Amino acid sequence: MNRHCVILLFALAAAAPAQAQFNLRNLDINKLVDTAKNVGKATTEIGEKEEIEIGQDLAARLLGAAPLVANEAMQRYLNQVGRWLASQTERPDLPWRFGVLEAPQLNAFATPGGSIFITRGLLERMKSEAELAGVLAHEIAHVLRKHHLKAIQKGAQVELAGTAVTQLARQDRNTASREKLLSTGSELFARGLDKSDELEADRLGVVIAARGGYDAYGLPSVLQTLQAMNPQDSGVALMFKTHPAPGERLDALEKMQPTLDAYAAQPQLTERFAATARPRR
Amino acid sequence: MKLLALLLPLLLAPAPCLAEPATVMRATDLKQQPASDAPAAGQLAENAKVDALERKGGWTRVKAEGGTEGWVRMLALRYAGAGEAKPGDAGISQLLNVARTGTSGTQVTTGVRGLDAEQLANAKPNAAELKKMASYSASKDSAEGFAANGKLRAQRVDYPKEGGK
Repeated sequence: MNRHCVILLFALAAAAPAQAQFNLRNLDINKLVDTAKNVGKATTEIGEKEEIEIGQDLAARLLGAAPLVANEAMQRYLNQVGRWLASQTERPDLPWRFGVLEAPQLNAFATPGGSIFITRGLLERMKSEAELAGVLAHEIAHVLRKHHLKAIQKGAQVELAGTAVTQLARQDRNTASREKLLSTGSELFARGLDKSDELEADRLGVVIAARGGYDAYGLPSVLQTLQAMNPQDSGVALMFKTHPAPGERLDALEKMQPTLDAYAAQPQLTERFAATARPRR
Repeated sequence: MKLLALLLPLLLAPAPCLAEPATVMRATDLKQQPASDAPAAGQLAENAKVDALERKGGWTRVKAEGGTEGWVRMLALRYAGAGEAKPGDAGISQLLNVARTGTSGTQVTTGVRGLDAEQLANAKPNAAELKKMASYSASKDSAEGFAANGKLRAQRVDYPKEGGK
C-alpha cells in the first residue's frame, strides 16, 4: 500500500461512519479503513513507557557503535550539567542520562525518553560549560518535542502500514517487528531529522540553557566553531550531512537575539569545564 | 615514532579560537565596547575581512584590516571555513589514539573507528555500556547542588511562540 493510499484512507476513516460497507472490486475497504484507523491511533498512542524502552534500545545500539569514554569524572560531570538543564523543562522526571562517546567525530545524539550523547571529538572543541549546556539543551529539546519518536513512527508507518506501531512498540523486544522499528530509529542517526526539527531544537536549546542560568550564547558559539571547520573534514562529515549548515543555523538564531542578549551575561564556567571535561590525556 | 613526532605539534596547538579570520555578513559599526549603545570605533563594510579575537556575550572583539580593533555582533560573523583546507583533520586524532594506546597502555578500546554512518547502521546493542551509563546518572538534587556550586541561577524564560509547533 503506498503512502497516498494511506492518506486517502485517513480521510475516508474520518468521514465515513464506522460500519460503512463498501465493495470496490477486490479491495477489502473495511479492513483498510481499520488499518488506517490503527495507524492514526499509533501516532498518538506510544506511551511514555514505550518511548523510554525504544530510546534505551537505540541508546544501546549507539553504545555498540562507540563505547563511553573511560573517564568516570567526565561522565558524571556531563550528567550533572544535563540533569540540571532537564530539570528546567516540562519533562523533568524522565530518566535523563548523558554520555560522552569514545569517537573522534564531532556529533551529538538524542534518543527518545531522555538518553543523550555527545562525542569526545565535539567535547574537545568546546571552550566552556555554557557551550556544553547549549549543545545538551539542543538535544534535550529533541526529546521534549519527541522529534525522533515521531520520525520513527512516520518511517515505520510507511514501511509497515497495516500493523499499529503501538503494537510493535509493545511487543517483545526480540520480535522481528520490534527489530524493524528499532532499525528505522538507527537509520535516523545516519539520515537525520527534518530541518525544521533541528532549527526548533536550536531555538528551544537557547531558551533551556538560559533557564539553567548559562550564558545563552553557548550554542551559537559552538555553531561558529563548527562553521569555521572544513566541511571536507572527516570528523564533521556525518554531522554536516544530518544537520542544516552551521551558517544557516546561525542565521536562523538571529530571531532569538532578544533572548540571547537578555541572558548573555550569565556564567560561562570556562574553568570548571576545563578542569573536568578536558583532563590531561 | 616518527609519525607521532610529526603530528604531535598539531595536537598540542591551542584550539583555533584566537585571531581566527572571519567575514562580516553585513555593513556594521565597529563598537568601542561590547554594547549596542557604545560609540563606534569605525565602520565595516559588508563582507569585510577581520580577525576575530575574543567573544564576550553576544559580541566578538575583532581587528579590522588596517588594524582598528573593536566589537561586532557575534552572529554577524562567519569564519573562513567552507572549502579552505585547514590543518588538523579531526580524523588525525583517531590515528593518534591508536598510537597512544600502543605506547602508554591506556584503556582506549582498540578497533574503535568512531561513529560514521556505516557503523551506526551495523551496530549491535551494548547492554554493558548502557548499564554503565545509567550508573553515572545524576539525581535532581545533586544537579541542583552542582548548579549552586557554579553560581548558576534558574531563570524563567518562555519558549518562542513562532513556528506553530
